[in-house]
Amino acid sequence: MVALARKTLIYEWRRFLPAMLAVGFAGLLQLLQIALVLGIFGSTSLYITGSSADVWIGYPGTQSVGSGRNIDADVESRILMDPAIQRVEPYIWVDGDWRGPRDTGGVSVFVSGIDTSPDGLMFSKALPANLRARLAEPDAVVVDRSVLDQLGVGIGQTATINGHQVRVVGISSGLRALGGVNVLCSLDTARQLDEDPADSGPTYLVAKLHDPSQADAVAIRLRGGTAFGPYTTWSAKDFAKISVRYWLFDTGAGAGVLFLAGIVFLVGAVITSQTLIAAVNGSVREYATLNALGVGVGALRKVVLEQAFWVGALGLLGAGLLGIVLMMLARSQDVPVVLTVPAAVACILLVMGLAAVSGLAAMRALRRADPATLLR
Amino acid sequence: MPTATAAAQTRAPALLAEGISKAFMSGHQRTQVLDGLTLSLDAGELTLISGPSGCGKSTLLAILSGLQKVDSGRVRALGSELGQLDLRALERFRLQHTGFVFQGFNLFPALSAFEQVELPLNHMGLSRNEARRRAQQSLEEVGLAHRMRLRPSELSGGEKQRVAIARALAKEPELLFADEPTSALDAANGQMIIDILHRIARTHGTTVLCVSHDPRLVVHADRVLAMEDGRILSDQRPPTPAAQDNGIPS
Ligand SMILES: Nc1ncnc2c1ncn2[C@@H]1O[C@H](COP(=O)(O)OP(=O)(O)O)[C@@H](O)[C@H]1O
Ligand SMILES: [Mg+2]
Repeated sequence: MVALARKTLIYEWRRFLPAMLAVGFAGLLQLLQIALVLGIFGSTSLYITGSSADVWIGYPGTQSVGSGRNIDADVESRILMDPAIQRVEPYIWVDGDWRGPRDTGGVSVFVSGIDTSPDGLMFSKALPANLRARLAEPDAVVVDRSVLDQLGVGIGQTATINGHQVRVVGISSGLRALGGVNVLCSLDTARQLDEDPADSGPTYLVAKLHDPSQADAVAIRLRGGTAFGPYTTWSAKDFAKISVRYWLFDTGAGAGVLFLAGIVFLVGAVITSQTLIAAVNGSVREYATLNALGVGVGALRKVVLEQAFWVGALGLLGAGLLGIVLMMLARSQDVPVVLTVPAAVACILLVMGLAAVSGLAAMRALRRADPATLLR
Repeated sequence: MPTATAAAQTRAPALLAEGISKAFMSGHQRTQVLDGLTLSLDAGELTLISGPSGCGKSTLLAILSGLQKVDSGRVRALGSELGQLDLRALERFRLQHTGFVFQGFNLFPALSAFEQVELPLNHMGLSRNEARRRAQQSLEEVGLAHRMRLRPSELSGGEKQRVAIARALAKEPELLFADEPTSALDAANGQMIIDILHRIARTHGTTVLCVSHDPRLVVHADRVLAMEDGRILSDQRPPTPAAQDNGIPS
């Protein structure tokens, strides 16, 4: 079989270049947009994904980790009664106002008071063991490398949170937050920083199970008791989802992403289809000749669609390579970018869908390939 | 091949048009291009339709080859009533039985001469080897064996038209239609093209219908139909060496 579509694409590559660029840029834009959104909004569930707790216990109706309310400390004993539970520890969230030694003004910080024992659950995946141990010192805090300038501190220096003095004992990485700065400290330190006298119990209790796969069932089982005041439970996975979804949709960011995706798709499809249509028009007499010789319209359409496919595939390849380079660059600059398999698949589908739509549009140009017009 | 010709003459005509009419509307103006034209063509002959520009030659060719519908009348090609075939069936009919050569060569810029010829064969359900054998053979027949690997941009006008002829010929069609095949070429190349078409009619027994306003081609045809204003004015068999070679009494 003579590979007409491919040979034409190679021979007349200049003609197809705009389409490949359009597809490539559309793909790249989508890829980076998704990676950035996942990276930025993924950090809103860092507290969950960076910890090894299987079940979270918090105030009912909590929409994201940062918007929790205190629950009764006695809930812990209720949780511990369940045989599936291996370990429970409190987690205290305090919104703080940071004043650094240098002139930085007030910086809004999210204080995470965590269990500093070596088998502590909170931030077990994000915080190195030696730093965790150092947090046990009174008034010790750990902050992320990327926010040192913002906080105006270095290691060993002191600052105040809510008017209470703290000391930076360590610098970690991968603890970036959205809309503020994460500060880690011990449970005791966190209690000291909490200005609200009404706050008595922890913001959350986090629990580890003997069998993590039971998280959903245990979360449901633990729900509903009211003897110790209001609380509810989530499996860690569900709570992370709730948290990310809150940021994505309740902040309008998700709508923005979808809107931009739509625009990119539209612009890409217009450029790509116009280029493919121009290519069909350029060969319309040859196509008409083939049709005169009896080659069916269906076979000619397949040629156009195959060209669209190759344009899509080549554009995607370019976008993929450039995307990887840009993502590595972003990572090296501490820009949060994350690409998951579903997100990558969504990108690929979007780009190939774009190519397919353009191919279908270009197929319509074949109507002009009427062999009778060759006879004049 | 006198025997083939003789046999063809006793059989039903390869192509038969009876009382065909065709008009075009342009705005409110109605142009009657063909008006009750009747015509029959025999296999193994090169028939030339000549006449001034705009007299309806191309329209007649389009109708006889099933590329256009008639307003009235009927066309019978190789025993099939073309008017009764739908679009798909017409495509299939053309695929199996017809070849075309146009004024423009209409070659794909990206394909070599060999691929241009092979491409339509791929759609005829031939094996890969058979398609290649036929492509090779037809290119040899038009004298382009040594230029098969070249793209259109590397070929002269005459060579391009020979590729177009080979593309039609490789299908081994019973009917071969050519519309002004020489008018984009100089005299020498035009002469060569008409000679090739004539040879195809004789050696393959193909019904070749060639349309041209070029009077120089008349001497190369077995039969010449002079056309004017949608009618055939005369039907002659010129007493040329070519015709006598065929053993046709004039
Ligand atoms: N598709 C069409 N629409 C309108 N008029 C047409 C069309 N095709 C041909 N004609 C007219 O029909 C006449 C005959 O055309 P054509 O068969 O191409 O002549 P020839 O090939 O002898 O030069 C011309 O006047 C032309 O303008
Ligand atoms: Mg004409």
